[in-house]
Amino acid sequence: MSPDSPKSATIQPKGSLRSHEAILFLVVLLELVLFSSAGRNFLTPDNLTNLVRHSAEIGLIALVMLPVILTGGIDLSVGSLLGLCAVVFGKLWRDAGWPWPVAAAATVAVGAGCGGINALLVTRFRLPPLIVTLGTFSLFRGLAEALTRGTDAFTNFPESFLRLGQGGLAGLPVQAWILALVAVVIGLLVHRGTWGRSWRVIGFAPEGARYAGLPVAQRTAAAYVATGLVVGIAALTYTARLGTAKADAGMGYELAAITAVVLGGTSIFGGVGSVHGTLLGVAAMAILTNGLTRIPATLSFAGELSGLFTGVVLILALTASTLSRWWAERRTKQAPP
Amino acid sequence: MTDAARSPAAPPNRSQQRLELSRETSVTAVLLVLLATLAVLAPGFFEPQPLLSRLTAAAPRLIVTCGIAVVLLTRQIDISVGSLFAVCSVAAGILSARGMPPAFALALAVLLGAAGGAFNGFLVAGLRLPSIVVTLATMVTWREALRLARQGIFINLPDGIQWFGLPMVAGQWIVCGTALLVLAGMAIGLRHLAGGRHVYAVGSDAEAARLAGLHPNRLTFGVFVLLGTLTGLAAVLNLVQSPQVDPATGRALELEAIAAAVVGGIAVSGGRGSLWGVFAGFLLLACIGPALTYLGVKPYWDRAIQGLVILLAVLAEGFRRKRTAR
Repeated sequence: MSPDSPKSATIQPKGSLRSHEAILFLVVLLELVLFSSAGRNFLTPDNLTNLVRHSAEIGLIALVMLPVILTGGIDLSVGSLLGLCAVVFGKLWRDAGWPWPVAAAATVAVGAGCGGINALLVTRFRLPPLIVTLGTFSLFRGLAEALTRGTDAFTNFPESFLRLGQGGLAGLPVQAWILALVAVVIGLLVHRGTWGRSWRVIGFAPEGARYAGLPVAQRTAAAYVATGLVVGIAALTYTARLGTAKADAGMGYELAAITAVVLGGTSIFGGVGSVHGTLLGVAAMAILTNGLTRIPATLSFAGELSGLFTGVVLILALTASTLSRWWAERRTKQAPP
Repeated sequence: MTDAARSPAAPPNRSQQRLELSRETSVTAVLLVLLATLAVLAPGFFEPQPLLSRLTAAAPRLIVTCGIAVVLLTRQIDISVGSLFAVCSVAAGILSARGMPPAFALALAVLLGAAGGAFNGFLVAGLRLPSIVVTLATMVTWREALRLARQGIFINLPDGIQWFGLPMVAGQWIVCGTALLVLAGMAIGLRHLAGGRHVYAVGSDAEAARLAGLHPNRLTFGVFVLLGTLTGLAAVLNLVQSPQVDPATGRALELEAIAAAVVGGIAVSGGRGSLWGVFAGFLLLACIGPALTYLGVKPYWDRAIQGLVILLAVLAEGFRRKRTAR
């Protein structure tokens, strides 16, 4: 690897990712302090439960998006797939008359299968992930619309299913357990084992990974299939939380999840990123959205304001990290052109 | 390593040029088959006035697609155009509703588009940030700022703006004509002007282009400004078609435009494709929805079929690449 190859500029030393995470951690703390002093009933168990419930799906998607982005890929189809899975679940339960646990298992399988389509197109046909998932973004949402004829909605789910999105387990909302489980699995894969470390290697240098004997296609495919699978699970908690399944479920979630991952310090070019950073990114966005609803003055524009802040913070974070890198490069006097 | 890293973007040789040609021909062929099927099975599709109305409604999207195509050719991407489109529409609407002469209001909207493009361009070319993240951020920022400012309230436009104060058919011809002029001008410019060739050079290999004496950064900045300007123009041409401005307009515009450009043969890896192919891809995607309605397919299949067409188009590219790799 020659020092001036285009990739070397995007690979940051471990320290700079850590400092990014430290800054983000301070931002999260600042938000907590700010909202607990200025907001009403912010730090109450009820509200925190609410906060977790509402951010669980984006959190789940962001966590599985991380491996995809680590390999240098991207998945724009996750929001559409969530809609498709929600509709498939409703169809199987109501129209096919399946018991809900069976329908739920089938939904997760459909999610994984759809992730498999992305994986196949990206790895077998070597197509750019951006374009593949742009196509499936339309395809999955379109199938969801076609299955419901554009208007149908599924409601009146059984109480035992709704508990998945509205109930608790050992004092915490069900979503918190699912989120923790997925976070631990992805965390172990990405940070502790060689199997998941290959995602970073692939993103860092795809050709290098191949020459090193890594099964690049297989590992990349696994990331996309895992994404589909977890999106299937997220579709279940989403449906159970709202009590309805419609074709427009999860619209815009792809961008929210990517924003959270990038905010967490992950390089969009792949190779650099962490699970705790991603979780901090999700937390920063979730606390902001929820906290703004707790301040009377901002209650009615909480959604818009949090989106606006997220966008601005994303630009500032990127600019700051670039400037700090330039500064570091200038100091060591080996700045590449 | 540098060789390996660059191999996917190797400069087009003669066989690749032939493939690129065949891509445009194949999209055009599919389009012609679709139109021929319609001519036989549903001649009502070609009734002049509804056809003109459909083309007019699609014209702003064509302009944005041309701009996106050039950005993709330089190996960048912009997903903020939908939000910028909405900002320009709302700005023009507010200004003219407050009594500014329509010509000024519309011109200011185009300038605002250029400014928005310049902002993206500064972040991408000036600070060297990845364009997908920059435009993701500006997309969210503009959209939410607009929602915050307008709270979804429609703006009623004063008389004299709709169809530029002309009869409807004349207005429709102006809108379509402008879009076609932009397309033709840019297609010729990309092929025959130095600036157009520089786009391909930078998109194929920015470092090589720099060593050859071009200015990739300046060019990238310029390309984003161009796209912003075209987005403003598209917003204006869309605005004159209705008596109101919806502040949520332009949603998913970026994805439609990127899809049309890619179906038309623009490679997202930069440097490959032409605007005539983009035009064919755009017409194919724009026709397929209404065409299916005319052929009796229920409209709720629209989006699924659009997705399928995009996937089939890129799949063809994948097969071709596999063949050439052997």
